Amino acid sequence: MGAEEQNIKEFKLKPMKCELNFLSKSDGSAILSQGETVALASVNGPLDVKMQSQSIEKSTLEVLFCSKGGKPSVGDRYKENIIRQTCETAILSSLYPRTAITITIQELEDYGGFLSCCLNTACLALVNSGVAMRHVFAAVSCALDDRGNILLEPTQQQLETARATMNFVFDSRQKSLVTSFTEGAFSEDTYKEALARCRSASDLVFSFYRDIVTKYSKVIG
Amino acid sequence: MKVEVDDVVLPGDFSEEIDTAGEKGKVILGPGLRKEIDKVYITKAGVLRKRAPNTFWVDSYQKRYVPSRGENVIGFVVQKSGDIFRVDVGSSCPATLSYLSFENATKKNRPEVQVGDVLYAKMLVASKDMEPEIVCVDSHGKKGRLGVLNEGFVFKCSLNLVRKILNPSCPLLESIKNEWPFELAAGMNGRIWIKANTMRETIAVGNAILASEYLSDDEIKNMCTNIASILAGHVS
Repeated sequence: MGAEEQNIKEFKLKPMKCELNFLSKSDGSAILSQGETVALASVNGPLDVKMQSQSIEKSTLEVLFCSKGGKPSVGDRYKENIIRQTCETAILSSLYPRTAITITIQELEDYGGFLSCCLNTACLALVNSGVAMRHVFAAVSCALDDRGNILLEPTQQQLETARATMNFVFDSRQKSLVTSFTEGAFSEDTYKEALARCRSASDLVFSFYRDIVTKYSKVIG
Repeated sequence: MKVEVDDVVLPGDFSEEIDTAGEKGKVILGPGLRKEIDKVYITKAGVLRKRAPNTFWVDSYQKRYVPSRGENVIGFVVQKSGDIFRVDVGSSCPATLSYLSFENATKKNRPEVQVGDVLYAKMLVASKDMEPEIVCVDSHGKKGRLGVLNEGFVFKCSLNLVRKILNPSCPLLESIKNEWPFELAAGMNGRIWIKANTMRETIAVGNAILASEYLSDDEIKNMCTNIASILAGHVS
């Protein structure tokens, strides 16, 4: 327990590993592992789209989520919605009117914090695809254990015993909150404290993004 | 985050250098930069570049083509309807090409273009709100190097690779052009057309181009001499 409290103070996140351009055929793709949780995202677009779903002033964003079993469920639709709304705020869709941008996310391993991993992977894939964006975003999750401690980036076991789980997404400009997705019961003060901790932890995700882009921009002359 | 020229940038970053340059005089914003109410923000991940006096842009990785005016592209004719051809250039919507925008074309003298032909053309109209339009003549009515590409082989690559091999400082074309004869047309939409005397030579050109994406200038030179020696060894 002592070690874990130490981690929270230093805002240590699970080790992140990433490969961009993982898929050769899609316009942009990224595979990201956060600890043992792994997600793969691919971005295609701006593409042609049929009349009824195209918008004359902005590009339509479509998010497809494939779980490991392959069977679509209501929970997956819900995740798609969260990811879509988060990405819509980030993408400058008015630059690509009458087109569609498709994001496909494949679950590979889920050992806790999967939604935030999906969001981070989607962001990296969008960065790789070269779609114009207003800002990048970073998702950080945390859990509230039964003693009221806030655990950043909880593991599977911690999630099973947790009273509440919270996911926050921040933009890179002012670190303002883009998406907040919570489950369970907690007080307002706890929410504020969790928000503040996740906001400071999002710096680590942003610097990770910068490292990845630095690594890839060296080879692209 | 605040960034400087030649830094790695992410969408949402801003550079004070651009803003201060903008107060003094005119600034040209290239791809990856966007003026908002208060500042100029970066919209693409890559490296911020500057060319004196006041031109800024972001070198970024991209595979999907978004048309922009004046670029030379390679397209496939997908449809012939009335007096226009529809040409797939890899963008979200096929480009249009009037049959009159060929050299010496008149209403009576139609150009011989079939569905499925490969064209090397120039972007004339490229606006986000309109269909892109391409032409196969310059403003003097001459075709120059534009027009139908006969025979040869077309392959796709990232937009960066095309920019890289067309960069005058890139040694790739310099080193292989003296080894064996070939023709090459590079479209800014990430398509490259090549034609050589034999199949082996065509494959050699294609492989040399694709392999050079992640190589440095010296490595490219080495690779080219390697390929040339392999080719010469088997031919003799």
